[in-house]
Amino acid sequence: MPQYRSVFKDEAKLDITYVPSRLPHRDSELHLLKEFFSFILQFPAKMAQRVIITGDVGTGKTVLSQRFGADVTRETNKLGVNLRYVHVNCREYRGSLFLILHHVVSVFHPNFPNRGYSAEELLRILLQILDEENAYVILALDEFESLIEREGSEAVYKLTRLQEIRQDKPQRLSLICILRNLKVIDKLDPSTRSSLQSNIINLGKYSKSQLIDILDDRTSLAFKPLTVPRDTVILIAELASSESGNARFGIELLWRAGKYADAENLDAVTPECVRKAVSSIIPIMRKDELASLSFHEKLFLLGIARVFKHSEKACMSLMDAEQAYSIVCEEFNVKPYSHTQLWKYLKTLSVLGILRTEVSAVDSRGRSTLIYLPKISANELEKELNAFLEREES
Amino acid sequence: MKILKVLMYMSELNVSEIARRIGVNYNTIDKHLKILEDEGILQHKVFGRIHLYRFDEHSSKAKAVQNLIETWEKSDYKMKK
Repeated sequence: MPQYRSVFKDEAKLDITYVPSRLPHRDSELHLLKEFFSFILQFPAKMAQRVIITGDVGTGKTVLSQRFGADVTRETNKLGVNLRYVHVNCREYRGSLFLILHHVVSVFHPNFPNRGYSAEELLRILLQILDEENAYVILALDEFESLIEREGSEAVYKLTRLQEIRQDKPQRLSLICILRNLKVIDKLDPSTRSSLQSNIINLGKYSKSQLIDILDDRTSLAFKPLTVPRDTVILIAELASSESGNARFGIELLWRAGKYADAENLDAVTPECVRKAVSSIIPIMRKDELASLSFHEKLFLLGIARVFKHSEKACMSLMDAEQAYSIVCEEFNVKPYSHTQLWKYLKTLSVLGILRTEVSAVDSRGRSTLIYLPKISANELEKELNAFLEREES
Repeated sequence: MKILKVLMYMSELNVSEIARRIGVNYNTIDKHLKILEDEGILQHKVFGRIHLYRFDEHSSKAKAVQNLIETWEKSDYKMKK
């Protein structure tokens, strides 16, 4: 029986719920978040904080908050402060304040009944529990939009102005509101809005080089040494970058590509594994688009597919593509078109989303165009093109 | 005994939930819970209308009862095996 082998060392490190100890390119934001909550280490009862974390999908909002939560809990517990960081995804609780608060109460009393009282009563119960246990909670409300959409200003107002009805009592509940777009806050009434919008951390999109650093970190944690070549990481970063700098997409793609490598019993996660993985996530290749290509466009693309099929590279130069096209033309017994025409083909194929081009940095020979086949398996593409070309020839 | 067993495994429950799990009406359970509390075996906390019962963690009587249930369950399990 063949022995099962895997490129993975610990694939759980690529899971969406994993919180790494280091967050590349989010040091300053993490530092700022710690600054906002620095009072909690010395005078936890003196104030309650509200912070908004905002940014696009995959910019690290959730992981930033969770990393902070784990760090601040550890530090405060060392000082004897009973602090709990509770992370709630509002969408999972259908944006209901009652269900969200019930989850928080359950942290202290796991079998707390979930019927027979209102959200307002539950909020009072939560404060009673925190007073009795001399505890503090930092409540992270992830996908905060969901709570606003369902409950509107009222619920947010209750949460933010909670302390005002508890004068001279310790401040127990701080909030981190995590959302994609700050515009959602505009839906709230002015007084609720003003109670929220004091501390905002905006996470920008990751650049390609930042994504490479993130993927490198996860690769070293999740994969066995030397199983993920540089070109694979670059290709995934390229794809994640084109998906609005979405690191989560990149990490998921890395995991999926690893699965394809394991399924094919490979020693390494090749760029072709990435292409297969991405086409399994999004059905990119539309046959009608391929069919609509001209005969020479198909030949040009076939040459490119063949080069990628046999190489472990993430990208190739236009010169390599032209050479491959010449060989295909020879095979089909047709005269190859000129460089200018091929350049136009390249533009068309980029617009269709089949290829991606990038102008490389200036070197001794000037700028050159790099071609990526990011989303489609080279093997599959070659098969499809061969089938079309055979039909056209007959 | 059924009340004690339920609380042994669930750690803490409200009156209605104990009644539901055992299949006895609310008032009967409430009466028995008060007796067990008076005996110093259980304790309860009030959160608005919610009464949560659990073993009294500071009571030696409660610890002895918990040990007894544990031993009983183990020997029962062995005999069934």
